[in-house]
This record gives sequence, C-alpha cells and structure tokens, in this order.
Amino acid sequence: MAVFDGHPLLKGCAKCPYTAWPQPRQRTLGLVFTLVSILLLQGCGLIFDAVKLVHPVSANELDAICRRGEIHVGMAVEPFRPFVFPALWTDEGARVTGLDAELVRLLSDALTERCGTQVAPQLHLIRFRDLFLLLNEGRLDFFVSAVARGTPSPARAGIAYSSSYFGEGGLTGISRRPEILEMIQVRLRHGGSGSGASALKGLAIAVQDGTDAYWYAQAFLQPGRLIVCDSLPAAFEYGESDGIAPLDIILGAQPVLDFVVKTTHRDWRSLHDEQGHPLMFTQADYAVVMAEESYSLRWLINDTIFKLRTSGRLDSMRRRWLEESYAYPRRASTEGLSFDVRQMPAHYAQGTCRESSSR
Amino acid sequence: MHKEHAEKAHHVEGEQGDEMRILYSVCLLIFAVGVTTTTSASPREQVRAEAEETARLLAKLLEAGRLVIEHNQPLIDDPHRGDKGFTAEVFEQQLREEFRKKTDLDLSTLSRRSSTFTVPPLARELLPALIEASKEVVNDAQLVINQRGISYKNFIPATYGSQAAARFSKRSHVRLKQTALQPRNPKNEPDEYERSVLQWLSGRPNGEAYVSELTDAGQILRVIMPIYYLPECLACHGNPQGEWDISGYPREGANEGDLAGAISVRIPLEAR
Repeated sequence: MAVFDGHPLLKGCAKCPYTAWPQPRQRTLGLVFTLVSILLLQGCGLIFDAVKLVHPVSANELDAICRRGEIHVGMAVEPFRPFVFPALWTDEGARVTGLDAELVRLLSDALTERCGTQVAPQLHLIRFRDLFLLLNEGRLDFFVSAVARGTPSPARAGIAYSSSYFGEGGLTGISRRPEILEMIQVRLRHGGSGSGASALKGLAIAVQDGTDAYWYAQAFLQPGRLIVCDSLPAAFEYGESDGIAPLDIILGAQPVLDFVVKTTHRDWRSLHDEQGHPLMFTQADYAVVMAEESYSLRWLINDTIFKLRTSGRLDSMRRRWLEESYAYPRRASTEGLSFDVRQMPAHYAQGTCRESSSR
Repeated sequence: MHKEHAEKAHHVEGEQGDEMRILYSVCLLIFAVGVTTTTSASPREQVRAEAEETARLLAKLLEAGRLVIEHNQPLIDDPHRGDKGFTAEVFEQQLREEFRKKTDLDLSTLSRRSSTFTVPPLARELLPALIEASKEVVNDAQLVINQRGISYKNFIPATYGSQAAARFSKRSHVRLKQTALQPRNPKNEPDEYERSVLQWLSGRPNGEAYVSELTDAGQILRVIMPIYYLPECLACHGNPQGEWDISGYPREGANEGDLAGAISVRIPLEAR
C-alpha cells in the first residue's frame, strides 16, 4: 500500500480495497478464474452450436419480419417510370405507385399469408445509390427499383437477387439530336455486328450514378464526356439546357427510357439498330434485391414470383403498367403505397449532373 | 332525422324556394349578429349559436386553405424549382390573410378577450387546431412539393382539404369533411343528410348562404357550406366532359359558378 503513498491521484483511493494492487496469492487466483472463464465461454459456444443442431428454432429473417409485423422495403426516390413513379400527394397523403409498388404489395401479401398475421410494407424512399448502402447496414429487408440481376459492381458485394420478375430490361440510349441518331445509324452500318458500344465512341453520354448504365459505361464505353447524374430527371434537365457542351445520349434502362419518350419527353428518340429494333447494349432481368444471407426471405420471394408468373399475374402487371393508357396520379390515389415522409427530407431533390473525372 | 327535415329552410320547394333562400341568408346574418350581441337568449339557443358560428368559421378556414393552395398551384407545379419555399409557415401566413379577407376576422387576435368581434370560445379552441392540422399537411407534403423535374404533384385544393379535414376531425369532437354529389374520393361520399342538402343546393344560383340545421333530436348541429367552381378549377373539372384530366379522372363538364361540392361540419351539442 505504501507504494501509492504520495501519489496525488491515487492517494485518496488507497483506502479502497479494490484499487489496491493484488497480493501474489490473489493474483494467482485471478489468473485461474480468468482461464476457467475463457474455457467456459468456449464451452458455451459449443453448447449453443449443439442446441442449434438438435433443435433448429433459431430466428431467421422471416421470423423477425413476422414478429415485427412489417417489412422494411427500399425504393428509389428518383423515378424509374413505370416501375417507380414520382411521389405524389393524394387524398390519403403521400403515395408512390408503379409496377414495383404493386410487386411490393403482392410480396407483403405473401408474407402476411406466411406469418399468419398482417405484414405491412414500410416504404423507405431513398436515393438509388443509397439503397445498397442501407441494405448492407441491415436497415432494409429488401428493395426494388428496376434493378438488373447480377450487375457486376464493387458496390453490390454482399447482396443477392431474387428470380426475375421482369424479363425485358437491358440498356439502351435516347437522344434529342437528329444528327446524333443519324451518326449512330451510319456507324452501325459500317461497324457490323456487335458494335453497339463502339457506335457511342467519343459522344457525350449521361448516365445515372450507381445504375447498371453507370457500371456499363465504366466497363465498356469510350465516351468523349461521361456525365454522371443523380437521377434521370436531372439528366433530362442537363440535356435540355442550352449549355455550350451539348449532351448527345442518355444511356439507361430500356423500358424506362421507352416509357419516358412516349409520355413525358416526346422530343427525345430511342436509338434503333438497322432493322429498326431498339438498340440494346445489354440484356437484363429485373429482380428484388436483398442481403446475401437472407436465405428464407429469398426462398419466399422466389416462390411468390414463381406463382405470380405461372398465374399470369406478372404478364398482366407488365401490360397494365407498360402498355395500357392510364394516369398514374389516379393509380397512386387508389393503390399507391404510403411512406414516412419525415424520414426522407434529404432525398427529395432530383440532384444534378457532373462530368466524370475518370474519363 | 326526417322529422327535423320539415323544419329546414331548404325543404321549401317551388317558387318560394329562392325567396326562402334569401330570407334564410338574411336570417343567418341576423343570427350571426345576434351571436355578438345577445345576452337574453336561452342557454340552449346560446349553445346552438356558438356551435353554428364555430362551424361557419371552420368551414371558412378550410375554404381559405383551399384557396391558398389554388393561388400557389403554379409554384407548387413548377418543375424547374426544387425548394419552393412554400413551407408550413408561409402557408399559415397566407391562410390567416385569406381568412381575414373572407371573415374580417384576424386570427392573431383570437386569444385576446378585447376582440371587437366576439368569437365563440369553441371556435377559439378549434380554429387553431385546424390551422395546426393544415400546417401539418403542408409540412408532410414538402417532399412531394419540392421535387424538381416533376410538374404535376397532385397537391391541389381537394387533396389538401381532405387531409386537413381528416386530421382535424381525428383530434376533435367536431367532424369536418369535404363532400360532393359525385366525389372523386370515395371517402368524401355524402351521407343521407349531406346528399339531400347538396341536391337542394345544386341548380340554385350560388351565393354566400349556407345551410344549418339541428338533427338527431337536436343533439347534432349540421352546417353545409357550398363550394362553387372558380375558373382555375375548370382545367380539371370543366370540359370536354368525360375526358381525362391531368390526374386521370374524367372531367365533370362543369362551368364557372356551378356547385362543386360543400364543406360539411357536424358538431355534437351535448359533448361540450
């Protein structure tokens, strides 16, 4: 004890038995106690493993969803019409609608059936690029937003895709400049087959950050300028502004671009091949995205998609959203999904475009 | 309820109808003035008078809110602006001004006893609650309103009104509702009483009159304040009839001044 005498900080504690340095016998006992504890902890782990093998009742992600009575679903705040329309205000409050919203409702119904209690979708409207982040952080059970299965990208590590719910995805381009459309036709005529990517060489191309188009452009294209935008509306705004460096092409998901040029941006035209078919750069199926280890949830979603396909529901959804004539505000009012607007204030802006420095 | 209908001014049919309506409007005016001056009315009459004036002011406030949204529609639907600056506070300021224009009543003096216009205590309690509910709606809609690149956002007088009325009604004993004979929102479908009043109002020239009546053996006060189509409404509700408007609903084929619907207020008198 005398060793502490005179120490200004410990002087007052010298009377306290717990602050005193242990005697050699106590030290030995402490060491033995620690070793036994470590051994016991290892033993506990083995016991837990044994129990799991004998009695596999440990909670999986489906059980957790059933207990919560809600499923956390991510959806892009940037519109991917007709899969995700912009958020609207309705008589019932803010709502989101689209093919993907209908799918979310059907998946929630399937979960309700599986759980035996109501499972309500809690929609999180967030930036597309943040969907992957929030999924990895465990804040989403799954997300949908016209996401192509199996897109190679470092940002998509640790995730898994469901089976396909939409099989006519893939990338194409649009332009509002006739001379660019003509130039690409000439290049295709002279370049032969498989020259889609090379037909875009040297052009000013806009893509949405984090999407399949972005990763495709990084992997294959040699544009004169690659313009990375926060959203498709931002790309249109950039392309329609009277800047000194005009935009030649917007590269994106074919069904989305095709829908947009037919409905809201009619002065833009799709790229076509020599036979007049849409010029496709990739083939893609759209899928629900979830964490790699969400095996039970993936099984349930795959099973639900299978049933929707065999019953013809997926086909009718495709026709309903891609072919029929309709006004989405009305569908938002009658069947849209609600979302918590208080959690999304930072996400509403369509954002801007900027030139990629890597090119 | 049908027994009480016999007492209603609006049940007078034929040639006497318009005269009775005018007489009714005058009566209402006298009644409103009476609220400010009477000291000799029975307690029962005072309760009714207070409830009726409260209902009238609530309907006027909701109508004022609808007008504020309508005036700001070009701003709300501007696709080139992100943050519109149309916050709940800005809305409130404009709402108070619009309400003052309609009623000559300054809401900021509600809490003062020395107000020149005697506002019933019930209204002093409920008008701020409706303002709060309305501000909440505008606040929650910020995400939708401030989207850039999107023009039509469906944040219109009707959708604002539905939400504000629903939120207010949830928190008070008074039910506030927008209704019409053929509403676009099924939740605004009129009840039997509202339908009978709306049918009576349709086909008559528009005006400032409203209908007030005791129902349910005098336990419930019903006030129906009609809303008429303004020129701005006709882009969606006008002609060609049946053709889709921007929100996907078939146009009603209405003309300026036609009856659009009504704001319905229901106040239980015994609950106070």
